[in-house]
Amino acid sequence: MEYKKILKNIQEKAEIIDRPIRFMELCGTHSESIAKHGIKNILPENIKLITGPGCPVCVTDQSEIDIITGLALAGIPIACYGDAVNIPGSLGSLENARQKGAQVFIVYDVAEALELSKKISNLVFWGIGFETTTVMTAWGIQNNLTVFSSHKLFPPAMEALLKNNKKNPVIASVAKQSRNFKYSLTKNGIATVAMLPRNDNRIDGFINPGHVSAIIGTEVYEKFQIPQVVAGFGAEDVLLAIEMLLNQIISGEKKVENEYVRLVKKEGNQKAQKIIYEVFEIRNASWRGLGEIKNSGLKIRKKYQQLDAEYIHRDLIAKIKKEIKPKKNARLDSRGRPLVDARRACRCGEVLQGLIESRQCPLFGKSCTPDNPQGACMVSREGSCNIEYRFS
Amino acid sequence: MCLAIPAKIIKINDQLAIVDFQGVQKEVNISLVDVKIGDYVMVHAGFAIEKMEKDNVKEIKKYLK
Amino acid sequence: MNNKKVIELEMGAGGQKSEELIKNIRKVLNVKGKWKNTKDDGAVFELKNLWTSNVHNGHLMSIPKLVFTTDAFIVDPLFFPGGDIGKIAICGTLNDLAVMGAKPIGISLSLVIEEGFSQSDLEKIINSIQKISKETGVPIVTGDTKVTEKGKIDKIEITTSGVGLASKIISNNGAKVGDDIIVSGYLGEHAVALLAKRFNYQTKIKSDCQPLISEIQSVSKYLTSCKDPTRGGMAAVLNEMAQKSKTNFVLEEKTLPFKKETVAISELLGIDVFSFPSEGRFVATVAKKDSKKVIQILQKFNKTAKVIGWVERPARHASRSDAGGGLWLKTSIGSVKKIEVPRGKLIPRIC
Repeated sequence: MEYKKILKNIQEKAEIIDRPIRFMELCGTHSESIAKHGIKNILPENIKLITGPGCPVCVTDQSEIDIITGLALAGIPIACYGDAVNIPGSLGSLENARQKGAQVFIVYDVAEALELSKKISNLVFWGIGFETTTVMTAWGIQNNLTVFSSHKLFPPAMEALLKNNKKNPVIASVAKQSRNFKYSLTKNGIATVAMLPRNDNRIDGFINPGHVSAIIGTEVYEKFQIPQVVAGFGAEDVLLAIEMLLNQIISGEKKVENEYVRLVKKEGNQKAQKIIYEVFEIRNASWRGLGEIKNSGLKIRKKYQQLDAEYIHRDLIAKIKKEIKPKKNARLDSRGRPLVDARRACRCGEVLQGLIESRQCPLFGKSCTPDNPQGACMVSREGSCNIEYRFS
Repeated sequence: MCLAIPAKIIKINDQLAIVDFQGVQKEVNISLVDVKIGDYVMVHAGFAIEKMEKDNVKEIKKYLK
Repeated sequence: MNNKKVIELEMGAGGQKSEELIKNIRKVLNVKGKWKNTKDDGAVFELKNLWTSNVHNGHLMSIPKLVFTTDAFIVDPLFFPGGDIGKIAICGTLNDLAVMGAKPIGISLSLVIEEGFSQSDLEKIINSIQKISKETGVPIVTGDTKVTEKGKIDKIEITTSGVGLASKIISNNGAKVGDDIIVSGYLGEHAVALLAKRFNYQTKIKSDCQPLISEIQSVSKYLTSCKDPTRGGMAAVLNEMAQKSKTNFVLEEKTLPFKKETVAISELLGIDVFSFPSEGRFVATVAKKDSKKVIQILQKFNKTAKVIGWVERPARHASRSDAGGGLWLKTSIGSVKKIEVPRGKLIPRIC
């Protein structure tokens, strides 16, 4: 079988490199696939896969959850994807709002939301997700659907991650440090402890998203100085992507390769890109854990203002924001929203950047479980904490 | 993110097409792709987001077997 | 129970939250009686408790055990390819008795109907109940009918209870290390029929809803444990059987009992195929030496009956969170991963 050959190659190449290697899969569907096939268990010990910020539920900012839940509680009917109903905010989740009598509808696609909007007046569709999903929302708006946009662009987040990757090669966590102590005996027999230099929080390569790339193409990734492979979602696809990344490391290259040639084109789907930018314009956006990232969000253009829930319900939203008063010293982003996660003990942000593992969060498995998630990484099936909890 | 499944186009009606996923059929929007009957597309949330190349297509092979 | 908390939909979905809710209800209702197996699909009463002696006219009588079960049914949509709420309501209770090794002898039927409900739809529902009752020879012996004001319930709710007699009880906790795990046919087609209807997919798949009495009776003496994978699907049921018998159930990805359409729907909607319910299938464990024979018998009823895995000592794949036994899958690339107890209701996702 094909996978055995790839796996053998991976083993040989991991041996050649002979140091800890960390790859980040950026897309949540890759994380799910890696868990589903048990890929982590069969990789060589020195290869580690870490889950990046590619789960739209996980990176949705607290303030956006609060606004949408606030709207629902104020009587505005909300339609959204099933993934989004359980994200906890300071007003609870949409599911909690529904239990209190709010109208919250789970839809499978935008067409269904559009149908629903013909029956239920004032319906607001909550658009979350990256480029792949944004196209459908844009189409919905063109067809008269009212939308609250939490849509985000993927490449700016990669840029932010890389900046941190350079800036903070050593972000130590106590649990891991202990393994890096070097004990030595001095002449008089006293043990001294020295910390070894370590850089094992650095990311050595990205597995780039498959279906986001189908829309945006691969050229946009070329500016990033790191090995990258765009991959499909089968077990063999992921294994092959890992082998391709190892090849780049061995040969010292930092380029974008495409394992998913059967779908992803260099230039992406230009029809889709056109629709997105006909309806949306770029703005700054807050990402849970990553903070505000410049030019990473999408706002509905003025010409579609009458379908923009942010505009239609601006007074109500202002009121909701006022009610959820930010803590006194909270830092605000350029849109005047608090940057700090309301649940401070939750370390989703560091998990999303691959800085700590889920288990290093003090809440993991204790007060934070899939049945009672404290942070978004535990909500979504694609969230790294949720996957870690379910599959290990 | 972005769960998507490959499917075969079996009937086209302007912007909409009936596609087949392993014996399960559904109408999807094909306005983002240029396709003809028999082509394979990747479907995400009711839309064909891109046409799939037939050659060297593991995923298609998997779906054909 | 905490008065401030509210009931969540998830508490009725068969996962961990359901378990907690039921545990809390049980805590209140803890009057001890002589019933056994109260954590199975049905409770068991030893009829011999009622007699002072099992000797009659000088002969030793074999006194059967009484099995009692009840179930409430809400289904959306009410009518679907391969069945309707009536058929499920009677099959569900018959099957709960059957998987315990009992032969059903009578069923009760309670209907709560919303004002404005179509009479012809009610007729259809009653007719499908009658059809199964006739086919299995199990009569509807008592019942009740209520009509509520419009909007008080969603169309119709059906509750059935049933009693049956068994000489040997098959429990859900009897799996032994070394047993094979079998299914009576491909799983999840009930979910496919419902999901396809709800999300507007076209498929030839019909619900697998059917009574299991004769199938189970034909092999019951070989079964070490048995259950029907309804709510929560095989993921919930096999995990429960494994945990209760403190063993590990290991399945192999390449022999999973799903049709291609079933897998396709699960991938399309992003819902785990292991959590797809069936309404006319059972999963069971049998001693390895019997499994070939059992499959041969079952294949007379359904060609797709087969062995899907085996029972192991828990230590083999145990991890911190699962030392008490659980369900595991050997994946196609040779790795082993846990199959979780499904949480929450079946929500489609796009991400």
